[in-house]
Amino acid sequence: MIARGLAMRRIGWVAVLAVCLALLVGLSLRVNALKSEVRLAERKIVALRHETIYLETEFETRANQQQLAQWNAVEFGYVAPGAGQYLENERELAALGKAAGPDAPAPIRVAAASDVPASALPTMVSPLTGKPLGEEDDPVDAAPVDHATATARLGERLATVEHPKIAATAKAPKPEGKSADKPGGTP
Amino acid sequence: MNAITYAPALTAGRVQLANVRARSLIIARIRLLVILGLFGFAAVACLARIAMLGLFESPARAASLAEALLPSRGEIADRNGVPLARAFPAYALWFNPDALGKGSPLVGTPAEVARRLALILPDADEAELRARLSVRRPGYLQRRLLPEQANRIHALGEPALEFPRENDRYYPQGSLAAHVLGYVAADGHGRVGMEQILDERLRDPALRGQPVELAIDMRVQGALEDELGRGMLETEAIGAAGVVLDVDSGEVLALASLPSFNPNRVDKAVNSLVFNKVTNQVYELGSTFKPLTVAAAIDAGTVTDLARRYSATPFGVGRFTIKDSHPLGASLNVPQALMHSSNIVTAHIADELGPVRMKATMAALGFNERPYIELPARGFPLWPAGEWPRITAMTVSYGHGVAVTPLHLASAYAALVNGGIWRPATLEKVPAGKAVKGRRVFKAATSARMRQMLRLIVSDGTGRKANAPGFRVGGKTGSAEKPGAGGYRKHSLVATFAAAFPMDKPRYVIIAMLDEPKGTAAASGQRTAAWNAAPVVGRVVPRIGPLLGIVPDDTRDVDLTDLAPLVPGFGE
Repeated sequence: MIARGLAMRRIGWVAVLAVCLALLVGLSLRVNALKSEVRLAERKIVALRHETIYLETEFETRANQQQLAQWNAVEFGYVAPGAGQYLENERELAALGKAAGPDAPAPIRVAAASDVPASALPTMVSPLTGKPLGEEDDPVDAAPVDHATATARLGERLATVEHPKIAATAKAPKPEGKSADKPGGTP
Repeated sequence: MNAITYAPALTAGRVQLANVRARSLIIARIRLLVILGLFGFAAVACLARIAMLGLFESPARAASLAEALLPSRGEIADRNGVPLARAFPAYALWFNPDALGKGSPLVGTPAEVARRLALILPDADEAELRARLSVRRPGYLQRRLLPEQANRIHALGEPALEFPRENDRYYPQGSLAAHVLGYVAADGHGRVGMEQILDERLRDPALRGQPVELAIDMRVQGALEDELGRGMLETEAIGAAGVVLDVDSGEVLALASLPSFNPNRVDKAVNSLVFNKVTNQVYELGSTFKPLTVAAAIDAGTVTDLARRYSATPFGVGRFTIKDSHPLGASLNVPQALMHSSNIVTAHIADELGPVRMKATMAALGFNERPYIELPARGFPLWPAGEWPRITAMTVSYGHGVAVTPLHLASAYAALVNGGIWRPATLEKVPAGKAVKGRRVFKAATSARMRQMLRLIVSDGTGRKANAPGFRVGGKTGSAEKPGAGGYRKHSLVATFAAAFPMDKPRYVIIAMLDEPKGTAAASGQRTAAWNAAPVVGRVVPRIGPLLGIVPDDTRDVDLTDLAPLVPGFGE
């Protein structure tokens, strides 16, 4: 009995050892696989960095100072900004369009005022509705929001959230010439 | 063993018992020995593995990645991190006649291969290539190839043509700042510029991963070289030099010596163009010394009244006669003398100052030693030794008799306008607030007065062509005749303009120098600095000012109202 027990125990130990060995081999294979993956990734990183350096250097070479200066001289003619193109602070910015002194004449404004009537310009047509742009806007929607009344009517408006289907049927076609006085509309 | 020997003499039961006991003892001992042996073996194996790891295994993998990315030589960048010189893996074209074994080295005939190579390499000589390919001798056919050229040569299908990758030094900006950078010779060591000075630092594996940042600003350098080159072409000068210096830290933002060389072509770089005119060539810089003389006199208290008039008629000292380029009237005061650049009045001022104090000021400005800069090529000034006689002080006062480099002059002008502190020039980037303490040469009040007078020269005097609108430039022209055999040569001038801007709070000194300019139409037929060097400064300042954070402003300027009554026709 004792000898059998001993043999069993021995087999048990051998089995445990075998399992452990198998696990160890499996683990080290996995570790090696991971290691080689890391090595591949590193090699890729190195190759990409070299590529980056190469491209960067090529860019620097093609865009070097002398090249840019020659290019500017032939093609663009950019010059350094002058004193008139700088504003030193907010105060100068605010004073930009103002008269120089209390009794000074108003500065001459040089915005172009066209003699051509506005109607001569082609009206922009909405690609969705085919109408001139601004035609389909509801004057009520386009009007500025009055905050006092809007706040007062907030509860009411929230209570009557429109159902899309109902809203579609409820919306009546717009009367002609309704938006004649709006910007962009034809007079 | 004893138990087994005596066993027959004992009773059967006892014998059996003794046998079992002895056997189990032996088994136990053997097992113990086996286990001990196993443990010992394991320990030895572990030790052996440790020894193997320690002796033969390569270091950890993390280090190898950094190693692979470490450049063979450190990068040099400008103050904003733009690369100026970098290690660059390039292809070379190598002829290996043994690639195909003992027979013919090439698949095609040498003539055919040479013809096809010449089609791919535009600057190759076909006859030379044919000669090289006909001989069984390995060697370079070309030192540098573009990757697409390498691909096309590879497609020729000649195993004897190999493309070894070599670590090369490459300068993306070409000849820009060539004298500052220098180049790397075939032995892998730097030459001429910072490549030579920083050679150890750039090759040190522990440090070369980090780029070295210089004080140079590549954009400023580009603008300076561009405008100096233009000025040189317009006036048919044989050379030009220029420097831009930070007045408060001594940092050199740009340093140009023209004509320049291309550090990318090492084979062609070794010639006279490598000579640095800014730090190595000494010149008698002429009238640009006059403000230094006047400042020394104000500082010493020999000029107390700027309205005092000095005689402007030529006078003799020993066998010399001191005269002006053209008559400037009977008498002039100090601001007028500077505006019209009068040698006579400056000589009178220097005479009152005396040779001892004159020499002390010039020495305090560093004119008696090599210029302070990191570059290896630094010229020693021509400096009269011993006690100066009266005439030496007079000639030095208007820039003759002492020859210094343009960099000396830049450092002196920085001291003149920054409040009186002289600091050595440097090519290394100085962190904010870490500037060298320097030494005081002029009083702050003298410096303020000189700022006014330098501005006056540009707004109303000889330097008007440098008056870039809105930048408050101040400076002084200098046109010195070059010494030749038997005295000064009338028609070989060195035209210099030394300036600083903005004069209400000076930040940068800029020196432009043209070597032997001609009186061309672009310079209105004149050879003097007012017509050739001053316009260069006038064109450079608007280009570099906004880049350096100086906003042009028509509403600011130095207050010149206290000098105005001394200058008839001020502001006209």
